[in-house]
Amino acid sequence: MIDNLMLGLETAATPQNLMWCFVGVLLGTAIGMLPGLGSTTGVAILLPATLTMEPVTALIMLAGIYYGCQYGSSISSILISTPGDSSSVVLTLDGYQMARKGRAGAALAISALSSFGAAIISLALLIALAAPVSSFALRFGPAENLAVILLGLATIVSFSGGNPVRGMTMAAAGILVSTVGVATGFSTARFTGGSVNLLSGIPFIEVMIGLFAIGEVLHQIRRGGERPIRTRFRDLVVRRSDIRRAIAPTLRGTGVGFGLGVLPGAGATLASFMSYGIEKQVSKNRSEIGSGAVEGVAAPEASNNAAANASFIPTLSLGIPGGGTTAVLLGGFVIFGLQPGPLLFETQPTLVWGLLVSFFFGNLMLLVLNLPLAPVFAQLLRLPYSYLYPVIVFTSMVGAFAIGNNLFSLWVVLAAGVVGYLMKMFDFPAAPFVLGLVLGPLFEKSLVQTSNLGDGNLLILFQQPISLTLTVAAIVLGAGPSLLRTITSRRADRAASDVAPDVASDAASAPVELDRR
Amino acid sequence: MKHTVVTTALTVGTVLALTACSGASGTASSGGFDPGNRVTMTVPFAAGGGSDLSGRAIAEGLKEVTGSTVTVSNLEGGSGAVGYSTFLGYEGKSDQLLATETAMMALPAVQDVEFTYEDFTPIMKLGDDYTIITVAEDSPFTSCTDVVEATRAGKVVAAVSGATSLDSIVFSLLEQDQDITFDRIPYESGGEVVAALLGGHVDVASLNPGEVTGQLESGDLRALCALAPERYDYPLLADVPTGLEEGIDVAFAQFRGFIAPGGISEEAMQYWVDMAKEYAQTDGYRQYIEDNYMQADAAYGVDFTAYLADYDADLKAGLGLG
Repeated sequence: MIDNLMLGLETAATPQNLMWCFVGVLLGTAIGMLPGLGSTTGVAILLPATLTMEPVTALIMLAGIYYGCQYGSSISSILISTPGDSSSVVLTLDGYQMARKGRAGAALAISALSSFGAAIISLALLIALAAPVSSFALRFGPAENLAVILLGLATIVSFSGGNPVRGMTMAAAGILVSTVGVATGFSTARFTGGSVNLLSGIPFIEVMIGLFAIGEVLHQIRRGGERPIRTRFRDLVVRRSDIRRAIAPTLRGTGVGFGLGVLPGAGATLASFMSYGIEKQVSKNRSEIGSGAVEGVAAPEASNNAAANASFIPTLSLGIPGGGTTAVLLGGFVIFGLQPGPLLFETQPTLVWGLLVSFFFGNLMLLVLNLPLAPVFAQLLRLPYSYLYPVIVFTSMVGAFAIGNNLFSLWVVLAAGVVGYLMKMFDFPAAPFVLGLVLGPLFEKSLVQTSNLGDGNLLILFQQPISLTLTVAAIVLGAGPSLLRTITSRRADRAASDVAPDVASDAASAPVELDRR
Repeated sequence: MKHTVVTTALTVGTVLALTACSGASGTASSGGFDPGNRVTMTVPFAAGGGSDLSGRAIAEGLKEVTGSTVTVSNLEGGSGAVGYSTFLGYEGKSDQLLATETAMMALPAVQDVEFTYEDFTPIMKLGDDYTIITVAEDSPFTSCTDVVEATRAGKVVAAVSGATSLDSIVFSLLEQDQDITFDRIPYESGGEVVAALLGGHVDVASLNPGEVTGQLESGDLRALCALAPERYDYPLLADVPTGLEEGIDVAFAQFRGFIAPGGISEEAMQYWVDMAKEYAQTDGYRQYIEDNYMQADAAYGVDFTAYLADYDADLKAGLGLG
């Protein structure tokens, strides 16, 4: 282990590799900030440019882009409610609220610090546990994946604030919209109306940009008269108490992110949603979450970074991509003449360990880059909105166009923008919708697979220990809060009926009570 | 995850600067036809898969011989249907190419799509990629005969990487040849299928050698038989018997190559065929074939079209549609 780390250090710490690592994280931050341009696209675009480099240098730079994006995408979420990547959607909740309160600098700093903390912890776990964790991850078959997705959907309850029904409605709407296109295991198109553009479904990145960026701009214009956020310098800097409050959520977020990142599939996005949901249940300041709490920034930010690192486990130790970006990186391995697979650690120790050690340097660079820049970026909000809005709309449109290089993306953004505006007007939460849209296809795929595996009987979910545990957890998380409320309201009813025996305490009173909350 | 990969001048200026550095040399002359400086290679599958690798290898090779920038654009979805259907709309555009494989033939055969291979201009077939029946290290099966016997005795779960993918067709042919039935679980890529095999969630899979060499070398997966006309020459696979040796008369390959849209000029087609022939002489081409354990068997233009006509007949006959 020590030998390997020394070997990695020797490789990663050469001036050339350090320089390209820096170029990677810098580009990653920039790419992440642009809406629509995520890490997958960024790495794929830059892969051909690295072909003339040494393989290890190229991979160090490409990986730098990947985790640099995780830092960058949260910046635009926090400042202008425009997520750069689906894993930063959650940051538009508390991060953006903090910015509205004039605490953008603190939110950015917390996001950088928790990202860094999560990256270092998950990296240590990655180095120490890659082999056992990857064999554990393989035990996740269709039933287990279905259970994980159910667990993810159950966290929606936490997002809906006072009204779980609205949250679930939006999540269901998201899943419904995700059924457009061709499903796994079949080749027939559904709900496409003959449009080739819709064959691969309603593109969720475009929807996300529309819902959040355009929707927010429209919403602000309607309210009108908003003045730029004037902040005192004191508020720009992160307070010691903020950091103290961020520690526990960062650790929890890291755990959730690492666990989910190891599994191929939704990874970072699901992890950020779930860790936010968990904070809403367990945090000391849970009542503040949703209105600009440090915890609501730290936890999802930590989890999406941990997930990004963890997705390297199946990639490096099995040769199976842990997500979209690592799939592109694996393609890079092959182009460089490296055979991905279980033997990579043995046949290419310099490369693997050099790459892993470079993560330490890269994350350190990102921290040094992002902390001082946080108050600077926060100054952006001092711009009058008449200047800020066009910039937001412009970058959103450019980002959307870049995804598919076609005008269809722009129409999707505009349509989603109007929908996002209406959702804000009538107070329907957008985050559950995005979660539904992202998880929908994965949910359907695992459902089809699980059902095939069980000959149509889904009780197979309860026959294996992992899927059993996860399914039960999903049920508890999904139904728990409302059950709890039902029980407490019944108690209240009973207490009331003790005082006034003629008040009926039938079961029907419970749901009524629920609606009122 | 849905992601489309493109280069966009507006977004990342630095990108252009960097790609420009890795620019290529070479001359383009074929009856004065010039596709322009920006050629797009559509890959109808996600980044990182077999089609993506071939698309990128061809793009790199063509960049070398033409001097044009060849950008890879992944247009995945619907087991390839999205990419091919979109490509149908590029009719007459001679700066558009597509990294093709079996889906071009399988989708029209079994699904309601608007294209057939006759709507496009076939340019080059790189070679053939057969599949090998693969199981996990701890599987009870030691030969393809074992697998066939097991399906007769009970349930054998096969992973397939798409409704109309090569492995799905191979299993159909195997079922017809041996009069058996597999339980199928659909996945979305060869990588997912490998993970399912390793995790013990499925019993058997039919994979291209290039998808499993890492696992075969390490011993985590075992190759039972190659559904190819002859044994492989590659040392790693030389000991794997063919299906025919075990009495299974199935040998069906995935071809890989690239096509241009329909309705392009004669000169444009000739230009791409010439470039393809030049590409076949490069080290990049040989390297690609070897890296992916394929059988080099190139065909160009009208010869490729003739091959596709035969393939279409075989495929339909195999699927009981002919």
